[in-house]
Amino acid sequence: MKAVEKVFLKGKHTLSGFEACAEGALSAGCRFLGYYPIRPSFKIIERFIERSLDVDAVFVQMEDEISALAAVLGASWTGRKSMTVTSGPGFSQMMEHVGLGVMLETPCVIIDVQRSGVSEGLPNVAGGGDIMQARWGSHGDYEVIALAPNSPLEMFELTVRAFSLSERFRTPVVVLSDAVIGRKKEEITIPDQKDIKIEKRKYYKGKKEDYLPFKYDEKDLIPPMVDIGQGCRFHVTGLTHDERGYPVMSDSCQEWNVHRLVNKIRLFSDQIVEVEEDQTEDADVVVVSCGVVSLDAAKAVRQARDEGIKAGHLRLVTVWPFPEKRIYELAQKIDTFVVPEINYGQIFYEVERSGRGRAKTLFLHHSSSQIGQSADILKSIKKTRGNNK
Amino acid sequence: MDKIIEALNKGIEKAGVERQKVCLVTDIAYSPDVVDFLGIDLFHTTRGRAIPYATGMKLANPKLLPVVLFGDIATLGGNHFVHSCRRNIDIVLICVNDFVYREVGGETAPGDFPPISFSPYLSFEKPLNIPHMARSCGCVNVSRWTALHTNELTDSISHALQRTGLSLIDVISSVPDLLEFYYKNSELRNDEDTLNVAIEKDKKIIVGNFFNDEKPSFIEAYNEQHAKMLGDNFVKIEVE
Repeated sequence: MKAVEKVFLKGKHTLSGFEACAEGALSAGCRFLGYYPIRPSFKIIERFIERSLDVDAVFVQMEDEISALAAVLGASWTGRKSMTVTSGPGFSQMMEHVGLGVMLETPCVIIDVQRSGVSEGLPNVAGGGDIMQARWGSHGDYEVIALAPNSPLEMFELTVRAFSLSERFRTPVVVLSDAVIGRKKEEITIPDQKDIKIEKRKYYKGKKEDYLPFKYDEKDLIPPMVDIGQGCRFHVTGLTHDERGYPVMSDSCQEWNVHRLVNKIRLFSDQIVEVEEDQTEDADVVVVSCGVVSLDAAKAVRQARDEGIKAGHLRLVTVWPFPEKRIYELAQKIDTFVVPEINYGQIFYEVERSGRGRAKTLFLHHSSSQIGQSADILKSIKKTRGNNK
Repeated sequence: MDKIIEALNKGIEKAGVERQKVCLVTDIAYSPDVVDFLGIDLFHTTRGRAIPYATGMKLANPKLLPVVLFGDIATLGGNHFVHSCRRNIDIVLICVNDFVYREVGGETAPGDFPPISFSPYLSFEKPLNIPHMARSCGCVNVSRWTALHTNELTDSISHALQRTGLSLIDVISSVPDLLEFYYKNSELRNDEDTLNVAIEKDKKIIVGNFFNDEKPSFIEAYNEQHAKMLGDNFVKIEVE
């Protein structure tokens, strides 16, 4: 081990969100980066490359984002923690391999720096329109894990957590960030390497000849892994497969296969879901937000309280799985949810669904140019006042 | 197909490499029996995109010897092929060139050469000259055989597994009825300029070892560049 110690920052450092993300990946043990350059996420790549060459990390610039994620999946099967970094159009290209990653149950992390607009959109402007794409972007049924940091510190912490979750649940994990959080600089305290807790990949420990790549444990529904080239002679395929990893073209196998892929996350969502709440105990109106919007939402809620409105704030730290239980609990106590988003309504649908009609749900388009301003959110909160119990 | 797997098996044996370090990455499904027969791991990935998957594997664990079996690069994956040749990553590419999408149900791929039709109105499109494409994109080891050239194919695979850099082996394959036809209509021309090996209607299929050269592989170039820039601080990718 040469110079490994050097790579880990610890203590106080002034870092941008992009830099903190790269540091988080390295601290989490990420040792493979496959990427294709795209604005505005490239700063993370630059930092990773700059800081990774004095450890045994490898990076490769692929020919497109499709191949960037393919390379990451291949690398992950060698036992290296692997990630890719991209933004909107690149994330769209990756969808085919998000599906393969889910199907082959390959741990990996995708950092998506969301940008504004459809297609090429506004490359350098922060957006929040990839929420549903992260959830439903690839075809077929699957569950996904997505985290939404709202500060440089969280760019570090949630990148670490993304690796931990991807290893624990054997699935791709998406970090939904944006350029405002990425460019923001703040002093953050990076813990000692030994204090960074990462769940370990579950490895197979039996006889090589008995290894079945998708034979899972009933306790956690996760099949133990092996690395490539250890002589276990395994076969894996993106086709519907049985526990041997052999393709089986039947409905019953499809049910066996996909049911577990969904349940291994759905049934354990309590271990994944994380929200932050502020003054929701006695609230009549709760603002639900994530990512950079949550900073403005928090401010609006404080302003509303100052004006005597019983407002609260629920921030989604994990966007997927969605905290539907908590939203339902709140829906029974409050009148209205206000959902500000830098898009034309995505989380809004989930809040409305999870509330099951027990509370009203108001959507608010908070445009990229309104980032940093809370006036529109406060206005929406005030609109709901007439409905107070 | 079985002939190619048979040659791969013999090629691994002949190369004397550690068998479990070889892994097969494919873009369409093959019989899982291949795993037991060859004694290696097999990854069936997305359509046309096995090459980048193998690239990640090789870089993350350079001790592995990924062998990619892929189709005629008619459409999907052409870009991956081009860039893997340019990059000169240490993997073996075996192009199963059969002018047909067999998995889909016999839809024809570009190629007006086959004497039987896979399409109701015959194919009129010209196939790619795959060896020439590889060569012009920087591939250092290019050969072509028909699936029935078992010994020659074995030798090419064995050579490819032992050398560094990317190797492309274009294998003219098809349904069993056509294998014999292709074999008989082939002409051996080692060291032939790849410009002259396009597959054309009513002409012989040129087979042979067309090109064999040395240039730094991706990993060698990666190590050299970063060692030059960073000196002792750089931790090289260890191949052995």
